[in-house]
Amino acid sequence: MANGWSPIIGLIIVAIFCAAAWIFAPKGENQTVWRSTLVLSAVSMYLMWGAITFLAQWHPIISPVRNDIRVDPGSGHRF
Amino acid sequence: MAPNKDTMFRSADMSLTQLYIANEIGREVVSALGELGVMDFRDLNSETTAFQRTFTQEIRRLDNVERQLRYFRSQMDKASIPMRSIYEFDNPFVSPSTSEIDELSDKAQSLENRISSLNESYETLKRREVELKEWRWVLREAGGFFDRARGQTEEIRHSLDNDDAPLLRDVEQHEAAADRSFSVMNIGFVAGVIPRERIASFERILWRTLRGNLYMNQSEIPEAIINPENNEEVHKNVFIIFAHGKEIIAKIRKISESLGADLYSVDENSELRRDQIREVNTRLSDLASVLSNTKSTLDAELTAIGRSLAAWMVIIKKEKATYETLNKFSYDQARKTLIAEAWAPTNSLGLIKSTLQDVNDRAGLSVPTIVNQIKTTRTPPTFFKTNRFTHAFQTIIDAYGTIKYQEVNPALPTIVTFPFLFAVMFGDFGHGCILFLAAVAMIHYERRLLRSKLDELFSMIFYGRYIVFMMGIFSMYTGLIYNDAFSLSIPLFKSMWKWDNNGAGPTATRDDGYTYPFGLDWKWHDTENDLLFSNSYKMKLSILLGWAHMTFSLIWSLVNARHFHTPIDIWGNFVPGMIFFQSIFGYLSFTIVYKWTVDWVKIGQDPPSLLNMLIYMFLQPGTLDNPEAPLYRGQAKVQVVLLMMALICVPILLFLKPFYLRYEHNKARALGYRGIGENTRVSALDDDDDEGHTMNGGRESFGDDDDGIAVITQDIGHGEDHEEFEFSEEMIHQVIHTIEFCLNCVSHTASYLRLWALSLAHQRLSIVLWSMTMKNAFAITGIAGSIAMVVVFYMWFMLTVAVLCVMEGTSAMLHSLRLHWVEAMSKHFMGDGVAFEPFSFKALLEEDPVE
Repeated sequence: MANGWSPIIGLIIVAIFCAAAWIFAPKGENQTVWRSTLVLSAVSMYLMWGAITFLAQWHPIISPVRNDIRVDPGSGHRF
Repeated sequence: MAPNKDTMFRSADMSLTQLYIANEIGREVVSALGELGVMDFRDLNSETTAFQRTFTQEIRRLDNVERQLRYFRSQMDKASIPMRSIYEFDNPFVSPSTSEIDELSDKAQSLENRISSLNESYETLKRREVELKEWRWVLREAGGFFDRARGQTEEIRHSLDNDDAPLLRDVEQHEAAADRSFSVMNIGFVAGVIPRERIASFERILWRTLRGNLYMNQSEIPEAIINPENNEEVHKNVFIIFAHGKEIIAKIRKISESLGADLYSVDENSELRRDQIREVNTRLSDLASVLSNTKSTLDAELTAIGRSLAAWMVIIKKEKATYETLNKFSYDQARKTLIAEAWAPTNSLGLIKSTLQDVNDRAGLSVPTIVNQIKTTRTPPTFFKTNRFTHAFQTIIDAYGTIKYQEVNPALPTIVTFPFLFAVMFGDFGHGCILFLAAVAMIHYERRLLRSKLDELFSMIFYGRYIVFMMGIFSMYTGLIYNDAFSLSIPLFKSMWKWDNNGAGPTATRDDGYTYPFGLDWKWHDTENDLLFSNSYKMKLSILLGWAHMTFSLIWSLVNARHFHTPIDIWGNFVPGMIFFQSIFGYLSFTIVYKWTVDWVKIGQDPPSLLNMLIYMFLQPGTLDNPEAPLYRGQAKVQVVLLMMALICVPILLFLKPFYLRYEHNKARALGYRGIGENTRVSALDDDDDEGHTMNGGRESFGDDDDGIAVITQDIGHGEDHEEFEFSEEMIHQVIHTIEFCLNCVSHTASYLRLWALSLAHQRLSIVLWSMTMKNAFAITGIAGSIAMVVVFYMWFMLTVAVLCVMEGTSAMLHSLRLHWVEAMSKHFMGDGVAFEPFSFKALLEEDPVE
């Protein structure tokens, strides 16, 4: 479902969204505010998800270790 | 020239305009402009004192009316009569005519007289009432004394005649028995009331001065007596003093009066006393009816005033502001015109002209009001048209400094970046929901809340309701990314981890080829090593977001330089600065992302430490921390090149701009140009005609006018002193800039680590709160469990709102504020603008509201 292509696909979607936001922002004196707010929001939300969080878990170096299970102290090591 | 559309990106185009207004309609014109609220009038009489100005008389008169209105207000407060709220008027903002103002001031005068006379008579009556009441108390209490004293005449006499021979006692006793009147015994008395706290000193003084030759009796008045002058309650005592001899009595009277006692006449005859009491009672009841009449008249009068007082206050306030503005105008005696200068947004000039035309038509004047645009070298004021949504964000930036005219407005990106960086620190879906709902509620009840009085903390939150709204939205998003809702996990998707040993753990293996699609994997919650993972993740997140934010801000300096046509700022500041920043921290960001994209397990190599890499890059360029395991091939060489690029940029940053400016300056001087203020003149160019034209620019229209205008013309030149080029100053400035920029690249990047620290603290705090309250409550079962659940839930919720949302939210907000003011704005913000302060009735009433 989610693999290495996800951030790229996400990037394309965000780019399309930004273009759409730029073109379809309500006309009038608040057009600049609409454009800047929508585009910046999309970009920063994308950064947070695709460019940072997703990539950080793409090739994880460590894996989770449960802490609700007591490892027998005799077995030598404890997590 | 067609003016550009005003947007929030740059401040509005401004023009300095000059108005020629016929003297007769000066007031009407200014008041109409005050309603518009788009003109910032310059003070053309700054040399004259407030007393010497033209409309001082009018302002004094209005001050007086204002004082009278305030007097009504205080009287209404005293009588606790409510004032009709300003919001209940249909339209309190219609500008009145001069005659209406005159009428109002006459009305205020007569009402003041009436109210004060009513007040005075009310106070006199009240004082009379108090006196009568005191007298009644004296009569009542004194009666008791007399009755008791009659029984004790013996002792009195005994005490009086203490030194006398006992022989005489019989005779006198007899006499006393025959006629028990004090007067016969030549004993006089003084009766009155005195404040209770003075009674002790009163007694002592009397005792000392009369050497004990008195008999004093006193009793407390049970009810407090109200002083009509200041409405204070005073507790008083009734006293009666018997003494021997006229002189002593006179002395007692003097002492008691000097100590603030009120003396009342009491008849010793009980019959007469009864009559006196009766009389006092009838007088009191008469007085009470007169008093209530006066009071109701006064209240009716005040209520009538209260119905329109708010509107009057608004009218007078506007009128006063109008005259204060008129005082800024210069007056042309010869032509009977007022001349005003004002900054106005160029886009509003049409509106201004049509408004002035309107006023003219209404006044039926044939002489039109002339609006001239003046070309000037002065810096125009900075003006942004804001709406409800953008206003609070603009305030954030304005609080730091006034934006330079037409430079990039940092408030525009701040609408997103401020709440977003807040949310990175505050990320929790549940807390975000609370913020969002609170903001939505405030926005929904906006109108009602705007009109009510709020306490300080709440009014601050209410002011930033749209900021809170954005914060709420982004916090929900970052909460989903962090997979935290009130510190619990949100398992939206299938986890990418599977516990080993058939789900027993403790270790986990990855579901091959599958990455958790949105946010952090929820399996990390409550694991042994979740901090190890989330710290590494959030630290890198902070660096990457910081890099993105700073690069974004740095690009605005390019936009500014292009807009102001200063290419030297591009080549001398932006380009070397950008290269410096990117070759160090851009590279760091690149390596962070690069390291994530490599599957280190698959290629069977230990991932290199990025921190060590950065340290080695500076300390031992060309060598790696672990040469066998580079991040990528050719890493060492690339790093040397990058370091060289950064180092080369430093001298460029340092010297290019000041030396270029010196070159420009010398070139201009070589061609014979001089500063306006310089005395030395090249004789060949000393041509008056030419000079006059170049200096006057577009102001020929009044360049040949007489004195009144000459003053203004001079004034335009005054403000903007031509800056002398000084190489050393320029150099020092650039040295400071360079050192600051280079050091700040390091310290500001480190400063963004606060995003990690605060989000970590927020998450840990909410985990602690949950595990200490709700988790324990879930452990209890049965009825006790459900009761405990309710109690604990309330406690948990209150603490969540108070500590996690309000307190933590405030701290995250302050950190986000700092990241904008210091880290981002230092990259491009010039901020030496002049604020636009238009003459506006609306702003005036907002600043000093009538409530």
